[in-house]
Amino acid sequence: MTSIEELNPELKGIGKYEFGWADSDVAGATAQRGLNDAIVRDISGKKSEPQWMLDLRLKGLKLFGRKPMPTWGSDLSEIDFDNIKYFVRSSEKQATSWEDLPEDIKNTYDRLGIPEAEKQRLVAGVAAQYESEVVYHSIREDLEEKGVLFLDTDTALKEHPEIFQEYFGTVIPVGDNKFAALNTAVWSGGSFIYVPKGVHVDIPLQAYFRINTENMGQFERTLIIADEDSYVHYVEGCTAPIYQSDSLHSAVVEIIVKKNARVRYTTIQNWSNNVYNLVTKRAVCEEGATMEWVDGNIGSKVTMKYPAVYLMGEHAKGETLSIAFAGEGQHQDAGAKMVHAAPNTSSSILSKSVARGGGRTSYRGLVQINEGAHGSKSNVLCDALLVDQISRSDTYPYVDIREDDVSMGHEASVSKVSADQLFYLMSRGMAEDEAMAMIVRGFVEPIAKELPMEYALELNRLIELQMEGAVG
Amino acid sequence: MTAAVQEALELGKVESHLHPEGSFDVEAHEVPKGREEIWRFTPLKRLKGIHDSAPFADGATKVEVEAATGVTVETVAADDAVRGTSGLVPTDRVSARAWAASTGATVVRIPTDTVIEGATVIRHHGTGSQTAGAGHAVIVAEKFAKATVVLVFEGSAIVADNIEIVVEDGADLTVVSVQDWADDAVHLSTQHAKVGRDANLKHVSVSFGGDVVRHDFTAEYAGPGGSVEALGLYFADAGQHIEHRLFVDHTAPKTKSNVVYKGALQGEKAHAVWIGNVLIRKEAEGIETYEENRNLILTDGAWADSVPNLEIETGEIEGAGHASAIGRFDDEQLFYLQSRGISETEAKRLVVHGFFNDLIRQIGVPELEEKLTSTVEAELAKNINTLITKDNA
Repeated sequence: MTSIEELNPELKGIGKYEFGWADSDVAGATAQRGLNDAIVRDISGKKSEPQWMLDLRLKGLKLFGRKPMPTWGSDLSEIDFDNIKYFVRSSEKQATSWEDLPEDIKNTYDRLGIPEAEKQRLVAGVAAQYESEVVYHSIREDLEEKGVLFLDTDTALKEHPEIFQEYFGTVIPVGDNKFAALNTAVWSGGSFIYVPKGVHVDIPLQAYFRINTENMGQFERTLIIADEDSYVHYVEGCTAPIYQSDSLHSAVVEIIVKKNARVRYTTIQNWSNNVYNLVTKRAVCEEGATMEWVDGNIGSKVTMKYPAVYLMGEHAKGETLSIAFAGEGQHQDAGAKMVHAAPNTSSSILSKSVARGGGRTSYRGLVQINEGAHGSKSNVLCDALLVDQISRSDTYPYVDIREDDVSMGHEASVSKVSADQLFYLMSRGMAEDEAMAMIVRGFVEPIAKELPMEYALELNRLIELQMEGAVG
Repeated sequence: MTAAVQEALELGKVESHLHPEGSFDVEAHEVPKGREEIWRFTPLKRLKGIHDSAPFADGATKVEVEAATGVTVETVAADDAVRGTSGLVPTDRVSARAWAASTGATVVRIPTDTVIEGATVIRHHGTGSQTAGAGHAVIVAEKFAKATVVLVFEGSAIVADNIEIVVEDGADLTVVSVQDWADDAVHLSTQHAKVGRDANLKHVSVSFGGDVVRHDFTAEYAGPGGSVEALGLYFADAGQHIEHRLFVDHTAPKTKSNVVYKGALQGEKAHAVWIGNVLIRKEAEGIETYEENRNLILTDGAWADSVPNLEIETGEIEGAGHASAIGRFDDEQLFYLQSRGISETEAKRLVVHGFFNDLIRQIGVPELEEKLTSTVEAELAKNINTLITKDNA
């Protein structure tokens, strides 16, 4: 029997998680653990922020203490908030050339292949966040000339305070939920994008997030504003080393899509299996605007993430493509939220999940059609694939409709990999695990084809890794 | 505690926010405040205090029994061992209170190996009493028995009850529960079924009247090969709250469940809630399940919540799925009918008729089918004027 590795030599020697190395950790070793008033003031002070931001952070801290832990999703009882390092500064200044980065950090990104992608012009701009802050940043010159802003969020606050204060926290208020409050208190890094009226950014902007320190908490804050008739595609990837104890990633992403603009936000989340990934993502769509979330969750120990679209203007459109893989010890609690607040809005959610090796995938979604949002349409489809007997899959859709002139459909199906399909492929000479991987690839294909080429390849490769050893 | 109850409690606990732990102790269930997962849709203020500590008394309903030949119906004391044989353990305060307060139980028994012709009808007629009543009934289809039992609720009353359904190995039972209450009635019903090896249960819930009707149907399996078909039909009018909550717990291998609920809503503040929970436990290999809920909203101001939850702990299944839809008249269907010379009103009537008709046919109780069809027609007639004026406005 030819093994999957012989057929795919590039897979040889790769472990289950190939981004698990750790760099030497000078900055992280000295960082303080725990969260209190002084830490928040210290973060704000180090960044020389205006008073209003400090006030907002302190408000966030207060609300974080007061808000209850969610009890409905994954088990979060093991998160030790006092053991987490809330701010780690790894490099004194941001580089605009990879050569200027400290050796360790540069090596990391080389191994992740980011500079190569930039060299080949696969992306129009790159941001690389290492620990708490963005260490590398660049954007294609012509876009800069057109007025496209692509900065890290800290710099944006310094350089564009007016735009910043106008939009920051308007989509996701401080007290939205416990983790949004935490993020507001200790946020650092993330991307800030402003696309002026009518500008189409034809190839994606990319950000790469890396946690290196053990027990690190990464709290990036991303704010994207797409002005009228503009278009932008933002892609983010994330990895972390494998440590004995857990890290926390709790980001907040706010997106404002103005009239007739379109934003696509693609995430391939591949944190190591000791990261709690608790993220709040939300977009607001004005009249005729389109928001698309492409959300891939492959890594992490626990993910709770439900990208939301608030359709506030007539004919606005929201779309979420969600894909989740849960292997041993993983719980992917992902889904989508669509709130129809204006007439003739439409939304669609397509979710695909695969659970194996005792992992658990949950689809949790909300479709809400408010009074007055007549003529709205929503369609939800979730499919789950269970590869073995010990994994678990849940579907928790929630629909709330306050208007009669709408159409709403929801469908879900859960299946196991059928013996017939396996037999068919194996009778054509394929090894069992190869056949299994092919079935899984076929299952997620409708979403994979929406990804940029190199990410689709990456996804396929991750699937093969995930599926390795899936069949006994 | 009976052996059956013990057994039910010993089943493995499943990590989920959907299923509160059961208990017979009323105080183990806190007074709901409205934010709890199992109460978040129910208008607690309209429950006349039965979710809190409003007293229960006898005489809320008059019960009439028309037993088919061969079926025994008797009333037993509250401490009779038959109570609890279905494995029902209250998971909310109302059910626990009704369990504690009921002074007796109506027991319907279909003897082993008998096939019963015709339906046994148990009619609960509300007396208009402002004091709430607590009810309890146990329906037992013994091994290889076959029968149909119809529960009818009508008139005006405040009622909380527990209905237990035991379908022993190889038996085939149809239970229809018709809530045809007067406009001011409040009815919270917990119905639990235990389905034996290779047994079939068809459970039908029909809700028309009442101010607040909340109907919880749960089913578990006592052996492999059992099958549950749960059908539901509801029509919510202005101001009415009709809630159906289902939970099919696949506790045994090679079992089947099929849930189809359809409802129409009309009038200001008509509210329908449908929650369909299915849990497939580790041991339940080779099962098949499908759930479906469809809502037809006929006028402005009505709203529907539809939540099909699916929890699966094994991949070794034949298939699992659910679908839910909320919509209004399909313009194409109306156009088709109108292009054939049928008036708009008539076309709408036909569409609703068609929406419910295939479900009504599946109930399989002939004497009921006609009645249901005419009730649907009567409900529609109430509103047919609004349907036209709305469209001409």
